[in-house]
Amino acid sequence: MSEEIIRVEELGKSFGEHQVLRKIDFSVNKGDIICILGSSGSGKSTMLRCINQLETQSCGKIFFHGSELGKKQKEINEYRSKVGMVFQSFNLFNNMTVLKNCMEGTQKVLHLPKKEAFERAIENLKAVGMAPFINAYPSQLSGGQKQRVAIARGLCMQPEVLLFDEPTSALDPEMVGDVLNVMKELAKKDLTMLIVTHEMDFARDVSNRVLFMDKGYIVEDAPPQKFFSAPEHPRAKEFLSRFIAG
Amino acid sequence: MTNTPTNSFEWVLFIAKKYSDLFLRGTWLTMLVSVSGTLLGFILGYAVGIVQDTAVNKEDNPVKRGILLFFKGICTLYVELFRGTPMIVQAMIVFYGLRQAGFEIDPISAGILVTLLNTGAYMAETVRAGIKSIDAGQREGALALGMSPISAMFHIILPQAFKNIVPEMANMFLTNLKMTSVLNVIGVQELFLQAKTAGGTYYKYLESYLVIALIYLVLCFVFSRVFALIEKKTAVRKDYVLAVEYMENTQ
Repeated sequence: MSEEIIRVEELGKSFGEHQVLRKIDFSVNKGDIICILGSSGSGKSTMLRCINQLETQSCGKIFFHGSELGKKQKEINEYRSKVGMVFQSFNLFNNMTVLKNCMEGTQKVLHLPKKEAFERAIENLKAVGMAPFINAYPSQLSGGQKQRVAIARGLCMQPEVLLFDEPTSALDPEMVGDVLNVMKELAKKDLTMLIVTHEMDFARDVSNRVLFMDKGYIVEDAPPQKFFSAPEHPRAKEFLSRFIAG
Repeated sequence: MTNTPTNSFEWVLFIAKKYSDLFLRGTWLTMLVSVSGTLLGFILGYAVGIVQDTAVNKEDNPVKRGILLFFKGICTLYVELFRGTPMIVQAMIVFYGLRQAGFEIDPISAGILVTLLNTGAYMAETVRAGIKSIDAGQREGALALGMSPISAMFHIILPQAFKNIVPEMANMFLTNLKMTSVLNVIGVQELFLQAKTAGGTYYKYLESYLVIALIYLVLCFVFSRVFALIEKKTAVRKDYVLAVEYMENTQ
């Protein structure tokens, strides 16, 4: 068994009366590539946002390397610098060039000297094929290009885990391929990833674990071979039948 | 040209020439009060706007929450007070109020103070609107990198908000340039008061006011060009240079 990085215990989240997450329990081990599947509104994104603390959970605990994550802002900032996030809507800084986007975190948070931050940015931008665009602003890029820059920005922090919140949902089919290829490369390099996605082929071929969510519960937690061939939960069966039919 | 002008146009020229030093001094004071008052007001407005935009977190400790709520209360009170009263009344109250309280403040300083307080109140709301205009994703992107909320505000959100509110800042600046005329009530010898003086000798008020109308117009035109330039400089460019040295690595 490899080393545990994140453990979530009894996590719950409600917005007013509306309960979005209930009793979420699972852990992420080093090298895991976990795809989180489920229909819209099942709580996938909220769970990911709770893990990154962009949403504060209503109950339950998050453990990072075995110690409970506190509520102090400083502690959360430091935790976030090790647990990166890639968003559906990219969220690149619009007032900065591609290069600056990739240097902002390493300079302001990790306090790397400029030269080192620059080298790291170039290295990661090369890895996603976006190095020639260092002078461009986000508004000058296509969706797929933006998302690849966003991934590079996340990688520059050298995170222990990278969270992906529907990274390809805002892209056209051609660009989806570009972004998924980048993610497959990351998987080969043993980056630990937690991916909320609707890309079934990707989940089946690349992940080592699939979490299926329904109505705020994780109802199935299985290796992809098992999940895609013999799902246990009725909702998972129903969900997959549509995918196979389509 | 005879010694006595015969029509209005000649009177305008005559007065402009004869009292040029008055008008120059008025122009200088109008600029001094409005430029310094507005710029300081912008700074105050940013501070107040940021405080007002800061969310009070239920998880924060009671002391921090208490301090934040206190400052937010002060800010709200200040904004409502200065947006809800005319500048001319504020000028009287600040100037004579401070004097009665024993502060020997001169009219110019009082004028700058009133202008900055007035500008700050409006600017606070403008800054708040500017912050609100920035997509929440920008903040989340910054937080996800581990940046503190304050750092995200100063490095990511405010620079973008600033760009969005430049036109409104120009508006406020031009308004102030003209609003300083009300400061004549506390004896600031800005353009309006000078025009009144200049017009008095020959009882040619209309002509005197025409002179300063022209001066105001020119000043406003110049400053609106300056802001247009700032807007242009801060706009995101449409073109960019490909870094060819990294080209071989493209997919």
